[in-house]
Amino acid sequence: MRRVLLITGVLVIILVLGVLIGIALGPVKISLHELVSALLMRGDSTAHILVWDLRMPRVAAALLVGACLGVAGCLLQSSTRNPLGDPQVFGLGGGAAVVQALAMAGLLSVGTWGLLALSVLASLIGAGAIALFASRQGLSPARLAIIGVSLAALAAAAATGILAGARVFSQQSLNFVGGSFINRGWQDVLPALPFLGIGILLAIPVIGNLNVLALGDRIADNLGAEPRRTRVIAIASSGILGGTAVAVAGLVGFVGLLVPHLARLLVGRDMRAIFIVSIPLGAAVTLFADQAARLAFMPSEVPAGLITALVGAPLMIYVARRVL
Amino acid sequence: MLKLQALSFVRYSKSVLSNITTVISEGALTCLVGANGAGKTTLLRVLSGELRATSGALLIDDNDVSGVSPKEVAHYFSVIPQGVQPSPYFTVFELVALGRFRPRNRALRWRLSDSDRQIVETCLSQCGVEQLSNRRVEELSGGEQKRVWLAFALAQEKRFLLLDETLDGLDVFAKQSFFKLLKQLASEGKGVLLTTHDLELVTQFADKVVVLSGGSVSYDGLPNTDLQNLLCQTSG
Repeated sequence: MRRVLLITGVLVIILVLGVLIGIALGPVKISLHELVSALLMRGDSTAHILVWDLRMPRVAAALLVGACLGVAGCLLQSSTRNPLGDPQVFGLGGGAAVVQALAMAGLLSVGTWGLLALSVLASLIGAGAIALFASRQGLSPARLAIIGVSLAALAAAAATGILAGARVFSQQSLNFVGGSFINRGWQDVLPALPFLGIGILLAIPVIGNLNVLALGDRIADNLGAEPRRTRVIAIASSGILGGTAVAVAGLVGFVGLLVPHLARLLVGRDMRAIFIVSIPLGAAVTLFADQAARLAFMPSEVPAGLITALVGAPLMIYVARRVL
Repeated sequence: MLKLQALSFVRYSKSVLSNITTVISEGALTCLVGANGAGKTTLLRVLSGELRATSGALLIDDNDVSGVSPKEVAHYFSVIPQGVQPSPYFTVFELVALGRFRPRNRALRWRLSDSDRQIVETCLSQCGVEQLSNRRVEELSGGEQKRVWLAFALAQEKRFLLLDETLDGLDVFAKQSFFKLLKQLASEGKGVLLTTHDLELVTQFADKVVVLSGGSVSYDGLPNTDLQNLLCQTSG
């Protein structure tokens, strides 16, 4: 417990640092004095708009998406006993991606809230499919992964097809497929917050059960951990979180896969600890990836998803070789 | 005392267990033997509440529990399923401590209570694995792993242990010492029910043998009989 608090504390400090980088640096330079006065709601309007309306919501979007993906990955990996569990890999975000693509293509206009709700709903359908397959006795982790990857590929193909068919401006679709936080405003972030809350609150009562689920359904049953109910709730929660993440930032890869493994390296095997640490860790990974995406090639930028994959892939290979 | 009275189980209109009547007592090592497919595992699953008997009664201390919820029946039994695999990453201590899991304090309650920790340590030393407690389970030898699972089952502090071919794949010495351990636990008051194919060791250690063939009991009594012959005859 002390270790969890310590690591969470360190991560929060890192997050604050990342937030400061996110609002202070950028193609348009602002002085420290301007930054402080903008933060204190004083000073001239340019810095104020830059900090509060342009950079801050983008930082918030990265934090939110990172937290969503970290928790979703942690829930998926433990409830399906599959180290490959990730909302993107398992196709949970796929439904949401199709909904977003339809919206970008102009085939669907339901407003921000409606779009978010539809994305979450679509991703819950994907979650339902995974839950159905995962609850079948004797379905090995590898086969579940194959099903998930197939669902994801199907959804990605559909989303790309919709975007291509509608001749959506290629930069925009690249940002969506790659996963990006460019031009995110408060109107994108605030409606997503309740979904993050619902996803996390839904999962909290079953977190302890997930520890026992690791021993197999029969033992979990015998200990009263209700494996089926636990799994359905955990996957539904990761569906909500995965859908929310896709709705805000598109297909940011690798965060959901990597974060739970890193969290386990940091705090050990207890799912409760991994769950808690996955929230700030996911947020930190995504936030710093977005800073790199934004600042490394100024004034142009790359999708943040490219950075998460660029950094995440070697890390994941290390994790797989060392501890998996 | 656990009494099975005319217990039957039918799956997909095929009879898997028929008319099983026997007694499994605490303080005794009962061995369940029989050919593959004779219904040993199904019987264990019916006892642990995982499957519901189609007919017949299951009495614990003369109370019929065949009507109560599977969850409540499970309060009496700790189960080690056949071919159980430790999930990677667990240390021995963590795995055994999961035996103290109770659905009610599942959420984010953290620390193992002192009494729980005490119980875990006792179970580890009872099974002779206390010096392994910080090792990862999957690094241990087969025999050590089985002992860790046994400690996990003991830590649940239930009255009956249901062990499904837990000795599979062990060498003869490991089997022998495992049987001794089971016998010891039984003499301390646990009701131990083990399914196994090791007839020699059964003859040597068991307090009671139940032979299943084709889903019904073909022998129920002391192990001082020619089990080999009996099995050959009944399984045709």
